[in-house]
Amino acid sequence: MKGALAIARKELAVYFTTPVAWVTFMVVAFFAAQFFVGSLDAWRYLSLRAVETQDASVLERMNVTDMVVARVLGSTGVFILLAAPFLSMRLIAEEKRTRTFELLLTAPVRPFAIVLGKYLAALGVLTAALAIVAVFPGLLAVFARGSQGGSGIEWATVATGFLGLFLLGAMALALGLFVSSLTESVVVAALISLILLLALWVVTIFATGAEGPAKELTLALSASEHLTPFLQGRIELKDVVYYLSFVVLGLYLTDRAVEAQRWT
Amino acid sequence: MIEVSNLTKRYRDLTAVDDLSFTVGKGEVVGFLGPNGAGKSTTMRILTGFLPATSGTARVAGFDVFEAPLEVKRRVGYLPENPPVYVDLTVRSYLRFCAELKQLPARTVRSEVDRVAARTRVDEVMDRVIGNLSKGFRQRVGLAQALLGDPEVLVLDEPTVGLDPLQIREVRELIRSLAGKHTVILSTHILPEVAMTCEKVLVVNRGRLVDYDTLGGLIDKHLPGRKVTLDDIAFLEEIYGKLVNAGPAPRAAAQEAR
Repeated sequence: MKGALAIARKELAVYFTTPVAWVTFMVVAFFAAQFFVGSLDAWRYLSLRAVETQDASVLERMNVTDMVVARVLGSTGVFILLAAPFLSMRLIAEEKRTRTFELLLTAPVRPFAIVLGKYLAALGVLTAALAIVAVFPGLLAVFARGSQGGSGIEWATVATGFLGLFLLGAMALALGLFVSSLTESVVVAALISLILLLALWVVTIFATGAEGPAKELTLALSASEHLTPFLQGRIELKDVVYYLSFVVLGLYLTDRAVEAQRWT
Repeated sequence: MIEVSNLTKRYRDLTAVDDLSFTVGKGEVVGFLGPNGAGKSTTMRILTGFLPATSGTARVAGFDVFEAPLEVKRRVGYLPENPPVYVDLTVRSYLRFCAELKQLPARTVRSEVDRVAARTRVDEVMDRVIGNLSKGFRQRVGLAQALLGDPEVLVLDEPTVGLDPLQIREVRELIRSLAGKHTVILSTHILPEVAMTCEKVLVVNRGRLVDYDTLGGLIDKHLPGRKVTLDDIAFLEEIYGKLVNAGPAPRAAAQEAR
């Protein structure tokens, strides 16, 4: 475990001395801000219309958590997915290319500690990016008031939303880490994990025309479908299992790949 | 300290190490000599637990490298052929990372880093990013890393590559000073290097052991009756050292000469 922490610290140092972490923060913050402003505008337009038409039922159902925060988080998910490959791409591929992997593999640490340390560091950067996004619901909490006078934000729903995004990021990084362990090329690692993740994200396209088991399967495979319940404030076992199984499988396969490449 | 018996390593149809057996006693400095591609690096990689052998066994400090790799790795300092440095880190943070990786006690990390940096003379570049350092400095940073934690066994793959002649001398002196307390196995294809640093020489070619003897033994065996002293080999270096250490020649003298 000490070895894993040492590796995590080193990876974090590299993330923050190179622009990778900062660019990730910038991209996620920039787009989350765009979505935040856009969703707020939509909210304002809708509430003005509801007031004009004196439609009390619409006004009653309008909810800043679902209509603004959940939308921002849902859109941020795409950028988590886009950012993850750039965080994971060099983790192992670069060690192999620059021959520093020899240093790690001849140090008194188990291969799994190496894998785990690298994974934790990437996850740390991603969590920091999510913390930046948390500024927006925070802003809303300051200004938005509920009809009963309390805060307009349902923190429980916001929390499950962030849990969903965290799990999505954890899955994306585990997959990216595995891809990174298969190649010596950083670019190839980024590209392949990006393609795989986008495929998992948009696989629901195939569900529209399909029926029966095919539809079920595509929906079950989709990373975006499994995120939706979290954004609605529900934590469902099948969704948690979906993301965690990617994490466990990804880390296990990476460990195997690290071990296997010594035998070639 | 190092026992290798019938070690063989095959890469598909290439046999890199072929039935190699030798032992190195505690405190000995052994030179691993052979042309490029003789299997030196492969043998070293097996000894450090980086590569598994195809057959045969290797024991370091009493532990089998295949059965108890962590025990071996704890006792071995290894400088690979390409110094395994991270170009994005400073020398200090790199050495600190290596010390943590080797799981040295947290209290001793700082003093250990300073100690090895002083011994390998990289202390003047501690806060520079390794990517901006010359090949010679990178090589010495790699060597510093191997010395961290004062391991019983040092495996050094071409430790003087990329150094200038004066730095080579310093590194050789460093290696000689390790003898006795540390068991050192170093590879090279530079003949004088072996003569100047090692007590015993292990000659390999095409993965096979050709000869394993002390320097004197080799001279007696292959050049009977010839008197060879270390000075015969070292004179060029000494001249070079004198020239460089004297500093730039005074301009007046240079002009007079013209």
